[in-house]
Amino acid sequence: MNAPTDRDLILQARRGDADSAAAFGELVTRYQTGVFNVCYRMLHERGEAEDLAQEAFIRAYDRIHTFDVEREFGPWIRRVAANLCLNHIESRKVTAELDDERDADPAQLPEAVYEVRERSEQIRGALASLPAHYRVVVELRHYQELSYDEIAAELKIPLSDVKSHLFRARKLLAEKLHASH
Amino acid sequence: MHLTDDQLNEYLDNESAERGIIEAHLESCDECAARLDSLQALFTELESLPEAALTRNIAARFAPTPSLPAPLPKFLTLTVILQAAFALTAIVIAVPFIANLLPAIEIPSFTEVFAQLQSQWIIWLDSLSTLRLSSGQAFHLPTLPELPIVEMSSLLVTLAGVSVLWILGNGLLLRNQR
Repeated sequence: MNAPTDRDLILQARRGDADSAAAFGELVTRYQTGVFNVCYRMLHERGEAEDLAQEAFIRAYDRIHTFDVEREFGPWIRRVAANLCLNHIESRKVTAELDDERDADPAQLPEAVYEVRERSEQIRGALASLPAHYRVVVELRHYQELSYDEIAAELKIPLSDVKSHLFRARKLLAEKLHASH
Repeated sequence: MHLTDDQLNEYLDNESAERGIIEAHLESCDECAARLDSLQALFTELESLPEAALTRNIAARFAPTPSLPAPLPKFLTLTVILQAAFALTAIVIAVPFIANLLPAIEIPSFTEVFAQLQSQWIIWLDSLSTLRLSSGQAFHLPTLPELPIVEMSSLLVTLAGVSVLWILGNGLLLRNQR
């Protein structure tokens, strides 16, 4: 038997019967890693990213009756998560914090693995150092592959702002990553 | 004249309306080509960021709550009640017959075993009471009143019957829950 599609699961989750939560749980299983990574790139703090990812799914579940089943669930929930993180950052003016992973003992890792992890952490650190409205544009363009127009519509900002935020963000990222190389 | 940063960004984002002009310029300008390569390297680096693994399963938050077992079907409930009533009646009727039969069996009854144990206990207590302490005073234990021996055969048979009923009833209930 074929696995149910996202559309099937959403329709089942809407029914409000005993299987609704299980159907939505299956959707969460499919997309939780992707959504968590959106939050992790935006927040650069693992525990907080997991909390926000869970919050994104809870909000999606609460609004499941208004979700247009003709849309794709995955991109939609990732955008919900990005917006949620943006609001979260702006509400508490988050600053880049050290994450546990960066404190891992390098002596315990093979050199190649250590280098990849180190570079990943530099990228995450550079992303986390960007202003929140730059960060979300980079997330939506580079990781969610939205066009300029789609980003403008999602964030409800002018197209010119999307471009200026994105280009300045890249300039800052290039400087930070070049400096750390 | 060189390409602007905006032109290079839009070109790499596939959002430029002047791709032909930009490509023609890049072929003849090493400096702009180098800037484009540098920007492309940043894109590659950003997009090579590996996905991190979750440390907890968010989906578990949406696990369905265990529902209560479905009530027994009516016919099964009625069957259980009838069986219990029938078994109880049978036991009540059988008790006098079983009580008559029991003395004929040579196996020592629980009553006899209990009586033997009790007499052993009294003998042991008596032997203790004859002990003398080093000071020469006799040591007296409080005497144990003799327990009345109850005829328990009927009681045992009733208990056994009830146990069988209890096991039977539970078995039926568990089978229905599966």
